[in-house]
Amino acid sequence: MRLSLTLLMSLLFTLPAWADSGNIKPPTGIRVYAIGPAPDFELEDMDGNRDSLSSGRGQWVFLHFWASWCGPCRKEMPAIQRMARLMENEPLKIQLVNTAEDEDTIFSFLGGVAPDMTTLMDRDGSVTEVWKPRGLPATYLVDPQGQVRYQALGGRPWDQPEYLGFLKALVHTPASAR
Amino acid sequence: MRPVTTLLLLGILALTGLTAVYAAKEAAVELQFKPRTPDQMSAFYEARGFPDAMIKPLHAQCFITVRVTNTGQQIVWLDLARWTFTANGKPLKRYHRNDWLEKWKKMGMPAAHRSTFRWTLLPERLDYQPGESEGGNIILPRVKGPVHLHAEFATGEDRKGPPVKLDFDNLRCVSNLP
Repeated sequence: MRLSLTLLMSLLFTLPAWADSGNIKPPTGIRVYAIGPAPDFELEDMDGNRDSLSSGRGQWVFLHFWASWCGPCRKEMPAIQRMARLMENEPLKIQLVNTAEDEDTIFSFLGGVAPDMTTLMDRDGSVTEVWKPRGLPATYLVDPQGQVRYQALGGRPWDQPEYLGFLKALVHTPASAR
Repeated sequence: MRPVTTLLLLGILALTGLTAVYAAKEAAVELQFKPRTPDQMSAFYEARGFPDAMIKPLHAQCFITVRVTNTGQQIVWLDLARWTFTANGKPLKRYHRNDWLEKWKKMGMPAAHRSTFRWTLLPERLDYQPGESEGGNIILPRVKGPVHLHAEFATGEDRKGPPVKLDFDNLRCVSNLP
């Protein structure tokens, strides 16, 4: 009886601590943004291959809208490329979407700042319009079930430990503990 | 001296021979203004393939790139309807983004150009989260001499916090080099 009581008490005190360790605290500039199902789209990349957001179902998707004329995009893209290299063995799909620019502009820009990256092309801007970002650049994190979960406010240093740690925690934390 | 507003002119920093950055700061909001010359704006849009039919009417206007930063701990609500401009003692009506987007649509301009144009403008409304910084262009009729701006922002999640009021007396439309 005494043993059961001790066990019960210790469970009562340790459970909240255990549950809390499952929570993932987003770093600066990332906010919880649980708006529901992510609007799907299908677009071509620079090589003419088609891809959709829903093709990433089953893993987290790092969805990033950008344009070459946007100053913060120029600064952020190399950090995304470094993050992509550091996360390449992790279950995270990085999906870039360029807003309303042509192949030449995109090719020239990425070649200069992030040559390893490829992007989907929202040629007429209609997909970006559906997502209605706060501005460009814009990043959303979509969970493996296709639900939007987080939103980045402006450009972020994704290759820094605070952000890498957050992304790694996300992709390795079971849905029930998030 | 305005009763509510404490206006702090941070400085005028010449970035080029033509344009300058002006900044105004109140407790929770920092505004930065960078007036653009007509040639700068035309070059920007020409480089993105905009047709003359779009560039000509834009060339005649006054473009000012604005960056709004929430430096406080509360949500700050941007609503451009609460910004008033005056020049030469008379109200100066800012062009709403819809004025242009409807014009481009009537003219049959390509969706990609309309999209790019839209994303280069400052949002009409936005809930700036603490630390967030977003920017874009505002478009005014071109005038000579100083332009006065009175900008008000609601604060707090329910918009019922103390409003932020900023006045800026020395905005200017800049001209091309002779």
